[in-house]
Amino acid sequence: MKKYKHLFIVFIAIFILLSLLSPSRFLSLNNLQTMLAQVPEFGIITLGMMIVILTGGINLSITSASAFSGIMAASFLVKYGHSDFNIFLIILATVIIAILAAIFTGVLNGTIIAYIGVTPIIVTLGTKILLEGICIRFTKGGGISNYPEEFFYLGSGTIFGIPVPFVIFALIVIFLYILLEKTSWGTKVYFIGSNETAANFSGINVRKIKMQVYIISSILSAAAAIIMMSRYNSVKANLGSSYLLQSIAASVLGGTNIAGGKGSVFGTVIAIGIIQIISSGLNILNVNRFITDSIMGLILIVVLLINSFQNNHQLSSLFSFRKKVGS
Amino acid sequence: MGSIFKKKEANIILVMIVLSILISLRSEAYFSVENFIDIFKSNTVLAILSMGMLMAIITGGIDVSIAATTVAVTVITGKLMVNFDMNIVTVIITAAVCGIILGAINGFFISKFRIPPIVVTLGTLSIYRGLTLFFTNGRWITNIPLWFQDFGDIKPLGLPIQLYFLLGVALLSHIILNYTILGRGIYAIGGNPEATNRVGFKKERIELFIYSYIGFVSGIAAVVHSSIVKMVDPGALSGFEMEVVAAVVLGGANILGGEGSVGGALLGVLMLGIINNGLILARIPTYWQQIIVGFIILAAVSFDVLQRKRIERSMLKIDVE
Repeated sequence: MKKYKHLFIVFIAIFILLSLLSPSRFLSLNNLQTMLAQVPEFGIITLGMMIVILTGGINLSITSASAFSGIMAASFLVKYGHSDFNIFLIILATVIIAILAAIFTGVLNGTIIAYIGVTPIIVTLGTKILLEGICIRFTKGGGISNYPEEFFYLGSGTIFGIPVPFVIFALIVIFLYILLEKTSWGTKVYFIGSNETAANFSGINVRKIKMQVYIISSILSAAAAIIMMSRYNSVKANLGSSYLLQSIAASVLGGTNIAGGKGSVFGTVIAIGIIQIISSGLNILNVNRFITDSIMGLILIVVLLINSFQNNHQLSSLFSFRKKVGS
Repeated sequence: MGSIFKKKEANIILVMIVLSILISLRSEAYFSVENFIDIFKSNTVLAILSMGMLMAIITGGIDVSIAATTVAVTVITGKLMVNFDMNIVTVIITAAVCGIILGAINGFFISKFRIPPIVVTLGTLSIYRGLTLFFTNGRWITNIPLWFQDFGDIKPLGLPIQLYFLLGVALLSHIILNYTILGRGIYAIGGNPEATNRVGFKKERIELFIYSYIGFVSGIAAVVHSSIVKMVDPGALSGFEMEVVAAVVLGGANILGGEGSVGGALLGVLMLGIINNGLILARIPTYWQQIIVGFIILAAVSFDVLQRKRIERSMLKIDVE
């Protein structure tokens, strides 16, 4: 837990500060529930981004993949959702179609990145543009909406008062935590991120694992797509596009090293929480939303400055040790 | 290495010729001097910005705040033009200075604190864009003085004035990259940062210069942008940074650093311009632009990497023999 101590203190401090500034509204059940409902779509996309950054890559196509999955699923749901078939089977099929679309985009990225060996940032920029084009081709620039009533449960329902999207998010967090930090597969992911050549020479199938990472990233974006579809009752080609750069920022804020090899699921989750309470809190305090964007950017840079100072400190202590040995 | 560059640029030209032939089969208006001037004019902002982005990418960096910087400068100069008595020279100077300041902020954090460029510029992207929208409240500035609007329509020697700005920036970038020690340093950082230090290049200073130069280029692009659209929209160019990166990469710059040229980047811009313009003239739905551009990026870079691997393998064989 020591790793995320700083982040957790920041989270608690901001939470208390906002509670003191606006106790009646920030701490209201309504606001807490709204925050829990808003976290998942952004959180799941961020985790999808983070797992790719762990390998030293980046996934600029993550929100376009999300829109692509959403549009494929929505096309099916709108066509068959109002027919006489069992509605639960239809919704299950919708989710499966979203996942299949995600596997397609994941394999596309994975093949070119892992097997051909092109830099992730270019490949995912290319697939981003390609998928956006395909999405507009399907939606004709508009949105696909009018889903059956039962589908809204996934985005707006509650289980024991907890929003369903949050339950999905929590399950994904636990799953990723176990996968990344408790299995040998996860260790390999970190190893590839810190030294790909060494990983390759140690007999790790780097290509296969990278491919799997990009597929998981896409599947997570599909999960976010299903939640967003259900919450907004509509899918457009730009579904979730504002989350793209934010998800990179949140990953880095959570302690993920942009060069790969370092980062944790819980650190990222706390960073997602910080961003959510700040944006909700500033909203409640009636701060201009454009200023909120600026504050987010400022926080990102300040956190990295602090990290940079800490690293420099370690470096300088290392050097002074050497000097002592020398003298 | 030189031969690889030339080969890559030849490939881009080949793709453009094939595209042009396909488009001209469906549109007679395509192959005309006017149309090509149009393509250039409507892509000058992209081209000017690509000159700055090219330098960042050659060093293995990136600047995603480039469009936000440009828009911030259009708003600053727009406000000044409306409220004060200015002329074109003072507008260009203020634009350049504002751009350099915004760019130097990036450069400061990147070079001094060793924070990865993508993260720093992500942060300044939100800061610049947020502040721009906050101070303007998202409102357009439409009462741009007439003298500036007229300036945008000048055509010395029959070519739109915007092209002269592009020519100036492109020449300057080309000279910096090819005929100065600074330029050698830029390529060296991208190729092998550690060796660069040992040879005696100051990495910090070079990086500070590059991101300030990107700011300068953004300032010039801001003037050009305002002179084309003849008003200021604080929400403009959202997501444009990715298009700039795409143009530079299409033009053969290696995102891992060490490679890239002004000519290549301009070819990349031209390719994007031809695709957009040609498909409109050929009456093909606009979403095909993105599908084709995305496909070309993926195909071009994959082809490039596969070819490079083959060359490396054959060199290895020679070593063994």
